Amino acid sequence: MAQKNIKVALIGNPNVGKTSVFNQLTGLNQQVGNYPGITVEKKQGFAKLSNDVRAKIIDLPGTYSLNASSIDENVVIELLLNKKDEDFPDVAVVVTEVENLKRNLLLFTQIKDLEIPAILVINMSDRMKLKGIELDIPFLEQELKTKIALVSSRKKIGIDTLKNLILNYEDLSIEPCLNSSSIDPEYFDKLRKTFPNQLLYKLWLVITQDVNFLNLERNEIKSAFTKSHSDLKRLQQKETIKRYQFINDTLKIGQKIDKSKASGIQAKLDRILTHKVFGYVIFFFILFAIFQSIFEWSTIPMDFIDESFAHFSNYAKTHLPVGKFTDLISEGIIPGIGGIVIFIPQIAFLFLFISVLEESGYMSRVVFLMDKIMRRFGLSGKSIVPLISGTACAIPAIMSARNIENWKERLITILVTPFTTCSARLPVYAIIISLIIPEEKVLGFLSLQGLALMLLYLIGFFMAIFSSWLLDKFLKLSCKTYFVVEMPSYKIPMFKNVAINVLEKTKAFVFGAGKIILALSVILWFLGSHGPTKDFDNAEQIVEKDILANNLVLEPSLIETKVNTYRLEHSYIGIIGKAIEPAIKPLGYDWKIGIAVVTSFAAREVFVGTLATIYSVGANDDEDDMQNTIKKRMQAEINPVTGEKVFNFATGISLLLFYAFAMQCISTLAIVKKETNSWKWPIIQLVVMSGFAYIVALIAYQILK
Amino acid sequence: MEINLSQLKKGERATIIDFNIEEIPLKLLEMGCLPGNSIELIQIAPLGDPLYYCINDAHVAIRLETAIEISIIKEQI
Amino acid sequence: MQEILVYIALFIAVGFLVKKFFWKKSTKKSKSCGDDCACH
Repeated sequence: MAQKNIKVALIGNPNVGKTSVFNQLTGLNQQVGNYPGITVEKKQGFAKLSNDVRAKIIDLPGTYSLNASSIDENVVIELLLNKKDEDFPDVAVVVTEVENLKRNLLLFTQIKDLEIPAILVINMSDRMKLKGIELDIPFLEQELKTKIALVSSRKKIGIDTLKNLILNYEDLSIEPCLNSSSIDPEYFDKLRKTFPNQLLYKLWLVITQDVNFLNLERNEIKSAFTKSHSDLKRLQQKETIKRYQFINDTLKIGQKIDKSKASGIQAKLDRILTHKVFGYVIFFFILFAIFQSIFEWSTIPMDFIDESFAHFSNYAKTHLPVGKFTDLISEGIIPGIGGIVIFIPQIAFLFLFISVLEESGYMSRVVFLMDKIMRRFGLSGKSIVPLISGTACAIPAIMSARNIENWKERLITILVTPFTTCSARLPVYAIIISLIIPEEKVLGFLSLQGLALMLLYLIGFFMAIFSSWLLDKFLKLSCKTYFVVEMPSYKIPMFKNVAINVLEKTKAFVFGAGKIILALSVILWFLGSHGPTKDFDNAEQIVEKDILANNLVLEPSLIETKVNTYRLEHSYIGIIGKAIEPAIKPLGYDWKIGIAVVTSFAAREVFVGTLATIYSVGANDDEDDMQNTIKKRMQAEINPVTGEKVFNFATGISLLLFYAFAMQCISTLAIVKKETNSWKWPIIQLVVMSGFAYIVALIAYQILK
Repeated sequence: MEINLSQLKKGERATIIDFNIEEIPLKLLEMGCLPGNSIELIQIAPLGDPLYYCINDAHVAIRLETAIEISIIKEQI
Repeated sequence: MQEILVYIALFIAVGFLVKKFFWKKSTKKSKSCGDDCACH
């Protein structure tokens, strides 16, 4: 039987629980994608309304009004103005919250002006009694010319009513609730006469802002009806006042609030959480707890994943038919996938904390606390979210910079975020620290290695702040700064929302960055296991000849290592490594480290894996756990010229500093390109950060050696 | 007496009279920062900026530079 | 046989990366949210 599809757009202010409503309507039947050309998240899902009718629900980004101030908000307007869009809704569901009804209704009246059938959802209705709010629903429905669904997404109340209203959307009135053109009748009359076939409010939106409007020549409208910026803004103000007048008049009759019941929980919590001293203490305590738990809790699953993949790789090697493709699977693809999967615990934990902080309303308080400090360095209080998320992965962090309205502050945030120590640097730091820093305790309880790691995190954060200060001085962008942050009421995070969010974000990481890492590990494996010359193919004979010539008696395993090393030197990757050796020698690296550094430009965590491949670990011993074996091999590496250890203190420090500063992540560069819409900024980032890293590593090595 | 919003003290209420339209983001107007509405200073950030207000039942933080552009009359208690 | 599979895999991997990073040069729309701040 043919199914009928109703297209529904879910619209609402931020912090009204729009996503909860979406989650309740669709369950797990949802998908997250991107709008073409921009990285705004596009969430859609399906809800079954009746046996043969299904609703396709699009969760549009939260917006305060149809006057957009960010790319996210632009998406909403562009969709609602474009009837030809395949997602153009049959019905708009405007989600509001019972406590902020007045403000939320502003957007509703604008949607009504677009003459799209609209349903009003009043969410968090379970809090009405508590807050002493009473609503006259029939009166409101009549005044607002709509149908209302009282919903509590938390208590799962009213969702069926809402589904029913969506099903019967054709009964809804499409009449606007007020006559907004009366703010300047003359102007709007002229407009109406010139474009008789167009909706007046649509024209007005096109005039006042920068949106694509397909079937109308924007310039034509603009040139005929342009007004000075401040005149337009004055009109917008008039429009807003007019809308509020209407809303106030309506709510005066339709809503009764018993003020005595208004509890002061938010005020009390705010007094503590934004306190001069306690505010910061609590914030740093929370941060500390987050880092501790990310590193403590994720070690167990990470070790487990690490071991499982090593076993799996071995299993594949021994059970599949011998051949090159089997090698590719067991040495290239399986470790490649392992290298992605191993980050899932850390990333999931970090997103868990971040989404709890955001859902609860605490993040806005942090923005409030940090704004003044951050502004000294050319950042915004809102930059704190990307900088914290950057410790997991710069990619989602850079995307979260989107709600910074000021372009300069946003650009600086995007540019400096990659300095924060992301989880991909962690395996590199861990192995090098374990090689060069002794396993000792300071003051009896602080581990020296732990302190070194903390220091590296601080260096990363300090560099981010310092470079934003520099950028602030040198970037000549005079932007009107404006900063308006809503302080939502505190809420206990809903498990379902947090869980879905963590799931989606983790999935995005695994399938986004993961594919790149996987592709690269295939290529790397190929370059490491193929060579252009006969020397590569005949490695075994050449090494054997060499051994015979020198009258050496060696264990078989040692011979194998020698063969592998010889082969590697003459593989494509070895040739590349040798070619770049002159450039990296002053930093204290040999060609093997060089290859690892170069391949790290795909993704930093490749470093350890590359060294593992290069030192041919896992070829002959399968019982030892991988980390230890790599470590032993690295420790045993001797520089053939000086006879010293390759991984000495100077080289180690030089490597650590290089990894702390260099821009070594193609995926991040790709995201920066997308977010800034130009190649200029990612290229600057790559050159400046990596150049700086080179110089610092050079100085460090030359001083310490 | 007409003063600007930054002169309001913590816990005090006032009525918005007017503002410099050029300097006020539209978003703030849409949140209810309009002439005639009431405004209360709830909290000042540790370094004196930003400021956290309750405007027309909406809880909003804005920077000092924006607050200066809004003129108000204090409510008598 | 296995050799062929290896080359196919390599081809897919290279193709994927090239497509991912170099193919999408044609961005659908160029907004005025470039170097200036006129994005609102």
